[in-house]
Amino acid sequence: MSDIQSIRTQALERLEHLSTLEDAQTWEADYLGPKGAVKLFQRSLGSLSAEERPAAGRAANDLSRELTEAFAPILERLQAESLTAGMASDSIDVTLPGRTPTVGAAHPINAMIDELIEIFAHMGFQSVFGPEVETGRYNFDLLNIPADHPARDVWDTMIVQAPNAEIIMRTHTSPMQARTMERMEPPVRVIVPGKAYRFEAQDASHEWQFTQLEGLMVDKDVRLSDLKGVLQEMARQLFGPERKVRFRCDFFPFVEPGVDFSVDCAVCDGKGCRVCKYTGWLEMGGAGMVHPNVLRGVGYDPKVYSGFAFGLGIERIIMMKYGVNDIRAFQANDLRFLERFAAAGA
Amino acid sequence: MKAPLSWLKDMVSIEITAEELAARMTMAGLEAEKIEHLGAEWGDKVYVAEVLNVTQHPDADRLVLADIQAGEHRLTVVTGAPNIATGQKVVLALAGARLVDAYADEPGKMKTLKPGKIRGIMSEGMVCSEKELGMSDEHEGILVLPDDAPVGTLLQHYLGDTVIEFEITPNLVHAFSVRGLAGEAGAILNEPVRELAVASMDGVPVQENLVRIDAPQLCSRYIGVIIDGVQVEPSPAWLAGRLAAAGVRPINNLVDITNYVMLEIGQPLHAFDLRNVAGERIIVRTATDGEQMETLDHTMRTFTAADLLITDAEKPVAVAGVMGGVNSEVLDDTTSILLESANFDMVSVRQTGRRLKLRTDALARFERGLDPNLSWNAAMRAVQLVLDVCPDATVRCYADEYPVKKAPINISLPFVKIEKVLGMAIDAATVVNVLSRLGFQPVISGETLSVTVPTNRSDVTLSEDVIEEVARIVGYDNLPATMPIGETPIVERDAMFLLERAVRESLVAAGAFEGRSYVTVSESAQQTFAGVTRESTENHLVRLINPLNDAQPVLRTSLLPRLIDAVAENLKHEKTVRLFEIGHAFFGTTPDELPDEPSHLAFAYAGYREPFNRFAPQVRKLNTEQAAAQELDYFDVKGALEVALERVGATDLTYARSEHPALHPGRTASVKVKGEHIGTIGEVRPDLAKELGVGENRLVVAEIDLARVHQLLGGQAKMQISVDHFLPVEQDFAFLVDKSVPAADVEQALRRNAGPLLTDIVLFDVFEGKQIGADKKSLAYRLTFTAPDRALTDAELEKQRVKIQKGVKALVGGELRA
Ligand SMILES: [Zn+2]
Repeated sequence: MSDIQSIRTQALERLEHLSTLEDAQTWEADYLGPKGAVKLFQRSLGSLSAEERPAAGRAANDLSRELTEAFAPILERLQAESLTAGMASDSIDVTLPGRTPTVGAAHPINAMIDELIEIFAHMGFQSVFGPEVETGRYNFDLLNIPADHPARDVWDTMIVQAPNAEIIMRTHTSPMQARTMERMEPPVRVIVPGKAYRFEAQDASHEWQFTQLEGLMVDKDVRLSDLKGVLQEMARQLFGPERKVRFRCDFFPFVEPGVDFSVDCAVCDGKGCRVCKYTGWLEMGGAGMVHPNVLRGVGYDPKVYSGFAFGLGIERIIMMKYGVNDIRAFQANDLRFLERFAAAGA
Repeated sequence: MKAPLSWLKDMVSIEITAEELAARMTMAGLEAEKIEHLGAEWGDKVYVAEVLNVTQHPDADRLVLADIQAGEHRLTVVTGAPNIATGQKVVLALAGARLVDAYADEPGKMKTLKPGKIRGIMSEGMVCSEKELGMSDEHEGILVLPDDAPVGTLLQHYLGDTVIEFEITPNLVHAFSVRGLAGEAGAILNEPVRELAVASMDGVPVQENLVRIDAPQLCSRYIGVIIDGVQVEPSPAWLAGRLAAAGVRPINNLVDITNYVMLEIGQPLHAFDLRNVAGERIIVRTATDGEQMETLDHTMRTFTAADLLITDAEKPVAVAGVMGGVNSEVLDDTTSILLESANFDMVSVRQTGRRLKLRTDALARFERGLDPNLSWNAAMRAVQLVLDVCPDATVRCYADEYPVKKAPINISLPFVKIEKVLGMAIDAATVVNVLSRLGFQPVISGETLSVTVPTNRSDVTLSEDVIEEVARIVGYDNLPATMPIGETPIVERDAMFLLERAVRESLVAAGAFEGRSYVTVSESAQQTFAGVTRESTENHLVRLINPLNDAQPVLRTSLLPRLIDAVAENLKHEKTVRLFEIGHAFFGTTPDELPDEPSHLAFAYAGYREPFNRFAPQVRKLNTEQAAAQELDYFDVKGALEVALERVGATDLTYARSEHPALHPGRTASVKVKGEHIGTIGEVRPDLAKELGVGENRLVVAEIDLARVHQLLGGQAKMQISVDHFLPVEQDFAFLVDKSVPAADVEQALRRNAGPLLTDIVLFDVFEGKQIGADKKSLAYRLTFTAPDRALTDAELEKQRVKIQKGVKALVGGELRA
């Protein structure tokens, strides 16, 4: 019995002084493990007399329970301390740069087209796409631009070699007006994003290859005020809910009445700044009510149907929205430019 | 069209500033592009002055002392001007004035006037020449102003002007003149327009045979007026000044008057020297093929039967509506003229101008379709000005050939249509008022608006045109914004666009940047990458007649040349370039038909795979071989291509070694969908890559015909996406095969023998080395098996393993390595 007393005394005393998880593991092995003192004592019970044995066995079990219970909180404390210490040694400079995943970016023009497609889809407009090389018939004739009228000079045309036909690079996305109406019956609500080409010298605000978005709506009872409403909705989605659209009279052969439309400058709230050249307005494009000759040309009855059409320059919108000051940047493929739009998210 | 404000104010009262006028005209469809303040640079130092006295300089024969006064300023000026005289009204510049340096080599160079001693006498100011005032190059003498010039006023208030430059849209002919713009301003400001002073032909004899029109379909009217007793000399200052302000160079009084009236009224005029009009008569006829005449620009012109000529009894004297002939031009000693005011067919004039490659101010007006009723007023205005400018001139006779008078048209519309088109109601009184201000004659009876259109408004032919006239004067500003009523069509999405967008999104996520290139390329660039997607022969090329850059006349059949240029440019400042582009390529079909325009996807990659930072291998510290392993190569583009195409459902992509003259023979493959060639992937030959500007870098490219991919996948069922709940089991296999066996074949053999439960296959190691034999390679694969309905047993797996082992050996001779 003195044995078990001394085991207990020694164990409890050592328990008091455990300071590391390793010490604790050693202690546990020394007393509670399969080769620990308690186990050894239990194994030695056989050498005791039958009278002594039950009491000694009980004492051994009590001791085992007592030590286990005493050990548990200490082990828990030491484990917690060890974890804390481990994490402390595993600490980092949290300000070091992170691992950057390699992320690219869509071209800003395509990102903007996506945005516009979504805006117009909410208003029931479907996106259609057409050829970039066109016939004079679709690019001009069906748009009420006769061959021998000075109106045709407005578009400086790039001409494709063709022995007996007028084949050109489309000067606008408007040819898709006629192509769409030939294919569909009213009601028509479409937008046409795409490239267009003009024989025009390049500078910071002129490109010979550029991107347009055409819009066309034909139905019964379409009004010029509907055009203003739709464009205003677009402007608000693009530039914020405060934006206003301004119409002024202008001439395009395929619309009548014709409109040039501007949006009040989001940079200065229309007060006038460098971006809007101190006018408070940013010119967006041309628009108007589809000319009766255009409707007639595709077999729509202008007495029954009316419609509006508009065209806007995608590059110009991006230039306004992100302060790009040279239109040539869009086709320079310079990563220093393209990378900016990875962050912008367009 | 430049319109001096003073000229506009001759005809209409304008109480607002030029800037306000410009803004209001712009809103109404007459876009003011620019406002110029002429004479503003003279500031408050340049005055209208009087010469009180002129005395000889005591020490210099060629200099005089002039006593000059301008209001409170009285001073002595030393000058060498030969034409200065007592009593003249002149221009006095005070010290500090900014003037053109008449002696500087650089034209238009400005200097600031400083007082100085000239031959011992203090000169405190200067009497100016036209050149010093920036009005012309005239520097022979000082500018002498008319006697009624207001002495003491600032010159800018007397000779200065404000010029508004308008862009006149091509539909408008009536506004292509100062009178027309004044009419527009009057309508906008609700001010009446004052009529111009014109001559009268009362008592002047009509000479019937003066004019004969042989081509009435091309010349609807011809007025000829003979004026005797003219004297050709420089125009008076007011006339020359106005022309200069409007951007027309003064020549002599008679030519200037024709130009003045053209600018003022919009009707081009021409003056012939009557001496050289044979038979003193005009015949308007078409040319005979090959007929010739030298035009005023001293070019011999040859005509065709389609060209309309003005001829005399013997020869052509002018190209109708385009330019006069040298043979009959007004000269310094001309004393009698024949003045022409005529109307020519718009299409004919335009076509002749095109054929002769001639564009003149006259043509620019005729080609818009001038009103023949304008001709008389213009002729009378010009006659009046000739009589004003040449005191001895008299009108001898005239003729007015006008067989079919142009009558105004009438447009009727339901009044309610205005609101139906605009979405805004305008009351009847306003509509009538606005149309009347614009020169229309509107009548409302019952529900109908009936409008008589003046003959100079050939742009107004439809009810929509009338509605625009009302709206632009009432102001588009007042238009409400409404949303369309009526049913919203179902939005269908374009499948090709969705495919392109999905490809774009996956490539962006894979770290690539999307480029956008010009569609034109040079012949040689086109040649270099011809045939990467489909065969492209000379017949397939689409060429431009007028490319912006003559060296790049061909529409691309491949996106690679431009994209590679971009890689080369970017490598000057980037370590990694991953570019792709989605866009049309152009393949000619048959002549006179539109080309085929498939959408292509192209890649061009070069540089290091990882960005230079603390995580990436420090390239600077690596040896050559290790650094090379960090370069983007064939497999980077192949992986990106697979990500993109698998995203759109092309899961059965296959590759076969192929060749292309521009590409590395050992690192090039044909890409196939469903066994069909859709494009090429490969590394550009090192020698060519260097030539293309990418230096020693590997340049990896690929180009895919997306339109073909779309066709091949067309109608394919949507992918079934389900998640298996039983855990997958992975099994590794390593096969020893001959080096020549493509990995794709081994993979195919594995797939064939792996059974239906195979869900994934990854090649995770390729090993070559002496240990396994010089002609062998080891390929290690991890296969994943998943059953949808049960956990797989070891027995099942072992059975499959044996099958794979035998199958691969049979198909590609691969030995399973232990
Ligand atoms: Zn602004």
